[in-house]
Amino acid sequence: MDGENAIGDGGFDINKKLEELPIDIRLRAIDRLKVTRLRHRKGVFTRLMLILALIGPGILVMVADNDAGGVITYAQTGSIFGLGFFIPLMVLMVPTAYLVQEMTVRLAAVTRRGHAEMIWKRYGPFWGAFSLGDLVIANSLTLVTEFIGITFGLSIFGVKPLFAVLIGIAFVSTVMFTLRYHKWERASLIIAFFNMIFIPLVFFARPDWSLVASTFLTWHINGGITTLFIYVLLANIGTTIAPWMLFFQQSSEVDKGTVPEDIGAAKRDTFVGAIIMAVVAICIIVLTGTVVFGSGIVGTTTSTTSYNISFILKTIASKIGTLPVELFAIGLVDAGIIAAIALTAGTSWAVGEAFNWPKSINLPFLEGRKFYIPGLISMFIAASIVLIPNVPLGFLNITVQVIASIFMPAALLFLLLLVNDKEVMGKRVNKRWENVSIITIMVVLVSMSSLYGLSLVFPHLL
Amino acid sequence: MALDGKEFGFIKNDKDWENFLKREKLKDYSKIPVKRAKVGGWVKFAFIFLRIYIVIMLVLIILGFLNII
Repeated sequence: MDGENAIGDGGFDINKKLEELPIDIRLRAIDRLKVTRLRHRKGVFTRLMLILALIGPGILVMVADNDAGGVITYAQTGSIFGLGFFIPLMVLMVPTAYLVQEMTVRLAAVTRRGHAEMIWKRYGPFWGAFSLGDLVIANSLTLVTEFIGITFGLSIFGVKPLFAVLIGIAFVSTVMFTLRYHKWERASLIIAFFNMIFIPLVFFARPDWSLVASTFLTWHINGGITTLFIYVLLANIGTTIAPWMLFFQQSSEVDKGTVPEDIGAAKRDTFVGAIIMAVVAICIIVLTGTVVFGSGIVGTTTSTTSYNISFILKTIASKIGTLPVELFAIGLVDAGIIAAIALTAGTSWAVGEAFNWPKSINLPFLEGRKFYIPGLISMFIAASIVLIPNVPLGFLNITVQVIASIFMPAALLFLLLLVNDKEVMGKRVNKRWENVSIITIMVVLVSMSSLYGLSLVFPHLL
Repeated sequence: MALDGKEFGFIKNDKDWENFLKREKLKDYSKIPVKRAKVGGWVKFAFIFLRIYIVIMLVLIILGFLNII
């Protein structure tokens, strides 16, 4: 029958059947028909096309995690602590981020519902509202840092803040409101690809690779364990594992149409994304750890405000020229845009899921305006804050990361409960080692967050 | 956007179509209710701990930021 005619047995017409479905499900059905068609065919090219069709949310979430705030955090980390502890830590973040995000893949494939919806419906409105409020606040604050990155990055090319913000809004709005899920995902992946600009950038610094390699043996902390170290450590963990990532990937997998059959492919997608995330982070740390930390220009200043991004880029320019700074700026703008796209979508998905509103990027703007508006509002608020003169942007950036890490244990607890819920997950509940891993991550996060809180109130504690 | 039916010959009739929709979970899940989870045992303790943790952390962070300001 394959390849005979458009209308099959008994006048079966696939287009008529598709027309009977609501528009968001119809578009998802078309995407899934294409995936199924690829599965029915043989050949290396078809196999490659299938792999490409099934990648998406995992790479997107991990690359978007290397957002403008993350890039600034990594740059500050390398500048303050040089080549040492934070390089092996980033490698450790690969399995950590993968383990956490992989659970959202299974949840999405089995339940076909987003994280916000599952918390709200399984654990009631109190925890649902808490998680949603937490997510929306964190997303909005994080969006501020994305616009900081976009504005700062474009300022290197002489673009004024107002125009930079407008360019950012226009970019995100165009991708979000004019493209339906499949094209939205592909466009986002192309933007995400440019996040890897930081990889060739590291070679401008001509780092001592033997020194980089030796960090894996020594885990040396330059300056020892201080309040600043805890602060920067939390910020790094906060930027590597953030609550928005759980919500984003689960919703994205649902909108993509991931089903249990795709779990293997979605896991690989997530793992590849985690590796890209760590490689980019390490490259930024090695770049600034080689150029800025070793520069001697900074004297004795050892705080994140002293090491703001302007200072870091000026030092890079004075040491290795303006081209690396321009490439860094492009990377920063790209990081801001890809994360802004993810956060805007993430907010819209979560609000839609919590209130049972329409919740799909497959919806045209007018039909799905209730879905798009929360993301749109959060984007406008964030963009406006960036334009306020003398806002302490560097401080705000680290604060956002820290807030995210404080709320992370709550997000992880719900993830743990849901993936162990036999009523929901059936045979796809967590294995014992997965539970041990996530509980270990939770214990580390809770300890670090508490230590940070105490170090704020009692600065001489550490 | 009309699809070329020839390309999707693996769906020949209504039964294939229904199977496809079922396998791909293509339905409106917002219309299907989700049962509330029973909270008991260690989960109850975890929620109590979470509440306490959040309150303590919020207080500490607010105090910390007030000190900085």
